[in-house]
Amino acid sequence: MNDFHENPNPHIAPPLGPEAALDLTRSILARTSGSPCQRLQDLACAFVDGELEADQSTLVRAHLDHCDACAALVKTLTQTQAVLPNLVELDPGPWFTQRVLRATVHLPPRPAFDLGRAWKQLMHRPRIALEAAYLGAAASLMGVYLPLPLPHLAAKVPALVQPLTQPLGASAQRIAGQVVQAEQRTTASLEAFPLRPRNARSLWQRLSARFKTKIQSFRKAEPRAPKNSAEGKKAPPANP
Amino acid sequence: MDFPHLLALVRRGDELAWEAFVRQFQSRVFGLAYHYTAQAEDARDLTQDVFVRIYQNLALVPDAEGCLPWIIRITRNACIDHLRRRKARPPLWDLPADEMFDLRSSDQNPEEAHLEAVRKGMVHRALQELTDLNREIILLKEIQGLSLEEIAAILEVPVGTVKSRSNRARLELAQKLSAAGLCSADVGG
Ligand SMILES: [Zn+2]
Repeated sequence: MNDFHENPNPHIAPPLGPEAALDLTRSILARTSGSPCQRLQDLACAFVDGELEADQSTLVRAHLDHCDACAALVKTLTQTQAVLPNLVELDPGPWFTQRVLRATVHLPPRPAFDLGRAWKQLMHRPRIALEAAYLGAAASLMGVYLPLPLPHLAAKVPALVQPLTQPLGASAQRIAGQVVQAEQRTTASLEAFPLRPRNARSLWQRLSARFKTKIQSFRKAEPRAPKNSAEGKKAPPANP
Repeated sequence: MDFPHLLALVRRGDELAWEAFVRQFQSRVFGLAYHYTAQAEDARDLTQDVFVRIYQNLALVPDAEGCLPWIIRITRNACIDHLRRRKARPPLWDLPADEMFDLRSSDQNPEEAHLEAVRKGMVHRALQELTDLNREIILLKEIQGLSLEEIAAILEVPVGTVKSRSNRARLELAQKLSAAGLCSADVGG
């Protein structure tokens, strides 16, 4: 900002012609390329909108008191912000409404709900194939695992769903495959951890008890036992 | 009359309701089209097309506050299509922008009204000099008052881009306007 005040001719008259206007732009750009002026440009919009913290606002004001170029920029920004919202509406002329009404008077308005149109829009959804595949997979799951009221129908569901998922393409088959794998994993883990009665020992308690007896028997067989429990497991158990 | 009620009447084919609907939005649609095209007659044709499209798609018009962004999006898309087609054919000379803006300011005193029209004309011309994205962001955010999210959806760019571009666009516009002498428009006009 000191550079600015050393300039012998800081006050430039308002330019009129396009060349003078370009000169002013250049001079503004040249004067605002210093780093405090650059920083002010970053903050100028927030300052004009009143969105700056009090401290920053004070610093900006202090700079503006000493830098005519930035002060001019902020003044123009403020004036522009005042004009812009007033550009939102513009009168198209006195006869314009009649012109629109003439253009629409012979057009039948579309009905509020058009089945053909709704179907077209549905089919334009970009993920319709994926959605159909998910729906198919969900239906197959429900068909297989939910108790259907009609047992003979429930028995037929997997046979019905399989040919449905086939022609949907590779991605649908992959999804169906993943669903089947997930089912198998769930079934396996459910079988591995069956529901136990309240007072029964947990699986963990039973496993750790079995492990302890194995360690003990191993120690009896070999006094200098290896520290690794995995090796201990492999050692032939000498049941007491 | 509240907007959902008006829209319901329009959908039932009430001609008076449709006239009220057109009058409610025509200045807004025309204003946007004029800033995009900088040609009053092109902007009138586009505005008429927009209302024909709305009339043919009344079932799709959002009932509540979504209506205005929806209309703005249709108008914007129509303008962009028009500008693409127009690139082959350069525009004819149009009514000076100041006269366009003078049409509306009849309630102020004549001197202040003229000054206001001059300022609006200056901003309109400076907007034409911005890059396409910067101009659209000023048009949609500062003039139409849409939210960052609405603008990002219309322009199909990330919200962050709209936000960072917005400040740069305002600075670019201010620099063009100070070169054109917006501040000196207070004194002379
Ligand atoms: Zn400065």
